[in-house]
Amino acid sequence: MADEQEPPPSAFSWVQVAAGWILVGVPLLWGIFITFQKAALLFR
Amino acid sequence: MGFLDKERIVAKPGFNRWLVPPAALAIHLSIGMAYGFSVFWLPLSRAIGITAPVQCPADMSFLERTFATTCDWKLSILGWMYTLFFVFLGSSAAIFGGWLERVGPRRAGIVAAFCWGGGFFISALGIKLHQIWLLWLGSGVIGGCGLGLGYISPVSTLIKWFPDRRGMATGMAIMGFGGGALIGSPLADMLMKRFATPTSVGVLETFLVLGTVYFIAMLLGAFGYRIPRPDWRPAGWVPTVTANAMVTTRHVHVKQAWRTPQFWLLWAVLTLNVSAGIGVIGMASPMIQEVFGGKLIGVTGALADLTADQKAQVATIGAAFAALLSFFNIVGRFFWASLSDFIGRKRTYMIFFVLGTVLYASAPNAGRTGSVALFAGIFCIILTMYGGGFATIPAYLADMFGTQFVGAIHGRLLTAWSTAGILGPVLVNYIREYQISRGVPNAQAYNTTMYILAGLLVAGFVCNLLVRPVSDRYFMSESELAAVRGAK
Repeated sequence: MADEQEPPPSAFSWVQVAAGWILVGVPLLWGIFITFQKAALLFR
Repeated sequence: MGFLDKERIVAKPGFNRWLVPPAALAIHLSIGMAYGFSVFWLPLSRAIGITAPVQCPADMSFLERTFATTCDWKLSILGWMYTLFFVFLGSSAAIFGGWLERVGPRRAGIVAAFCWGGGFFISALGIKLHQIWLLWLGSGVIGGCGLGLGYISPVSTLIKWFPDRRGMATGMAIMGFGGGALIGSPLADMLMKRFATPTSVGVLETFLVLGTVYFIAMLLGAFGYRIPRPDWRPAGWVPTVTANAMVTTRHVHVKQAWRTPQFWLLWAVLTLNVSAGIGVIGMASPMIQEVFGGKLIGVTGALADLTADQKAQVATIGAAFAALLSFFNIVGRFFWASLSDFIGRKRTYMIFFVLGTVLYASAPNAGRTGSVALFAGIFCIILTMYGGGFATIPAYLADMFGTQFVGAIHGRLLTAWSTAGILGPVLVNYIREYQISRGVPNAQAYNTTMYILAGLLVAGFVCNLLVRPVSDRYFMSESELAAVRGAK
């Protein structure tokens, strides 16, 4: 079976994963923060 | 250009599949700005007058207005760009889906980057020359094609990398399309303020910056794409060979898929779910203002009875409501698509249609009780299911038709989106206007609309109920599959 020979992802690849998620996650969280700031008016 | 070839992006052993979702998100967050284009309408409507729009002569024809350089564009003329986005998104996804499957996601992602980023540059030229047709062509037509290609580019790849969590994987990417405007709108607003001068509204410069940023982000995303080997599967994962006929292990060719009743039932399911949701998104802000009026700012009286200052405050609350809905639209994409991995796609859509019908039908009562929180809560849940419908459909298609052509089949199904983009708003706006013309107070003009949207969801429920496993005769034989894979 193919998966039996598949080596696990390297430790460095997890660093790349973290970097990738930070690159897309930070702008997204910023956008969500701004949205919440606007939406807070609804509950004042 | 060999580095763009599909064969060159087959992942090496040990590749970390979790690198693919952020690459897909980079593309979807970029193209998701299409939802946020309304932030440009008001500044563009006074591109010549700067402080106030310069009106065109009343007797000027539509064609003359299209080429006029001495008077400003009307909002209705600018709004055509939004229509073009979704028409070309659906049609380009349908037309180029098969090409995407042949050439792979990287080439498609790069073409999408050129179309979407380049569209901003053409539009910037249109602002410079004050030619609206260049904006329609740049952002609407060419950008719209970028939307379609960018939207479907990661779908098939993610489904192949995450056979154990198809819904979650596509939900993560499609969440980005909902989230793009959350980043792009405030960013565009900041840039326009930064670039505005006494002789410019700042949109031209903003388009150049955004076009560059999105082009780079999409290129990075496209270069991050890797595809698994055909026989790859996650370590330790064994496909469940159960009696669940709603999840096939075989493959239907894209040329056969649209001949199946299942394809058209799912097309109807998506159209009906999206029509109802788009209708709500389009009317969210005016709806809450008209239903609650002065109550939103703690005073009595209907919206029409308020002072100009009070109306401005109420309008701000309306915008806050629209912002809140956009957040729940995103949350729903990830939540419902991930949940569908556990409860199944058909059951997930059953929940959308049953819960959605109940919520739409309850909305008028919630308005009558005067509870803003209850009313807002109902629509927040509805919007999660609108987003969830988009995010769950690729996995539903993969379950029904297999993974070999799921990107192309998904592309063709997205024509449902274009249809819903016209059907939903038209339905909602015309019913509301008809109600008001018959003397119904503005605050109650949405009630019938809600019942009709609930009716759409009942029809969607029936369509989803009729979805059955695809007949054996539509599936490719082993030799046909080998020929297709060998030809790529």
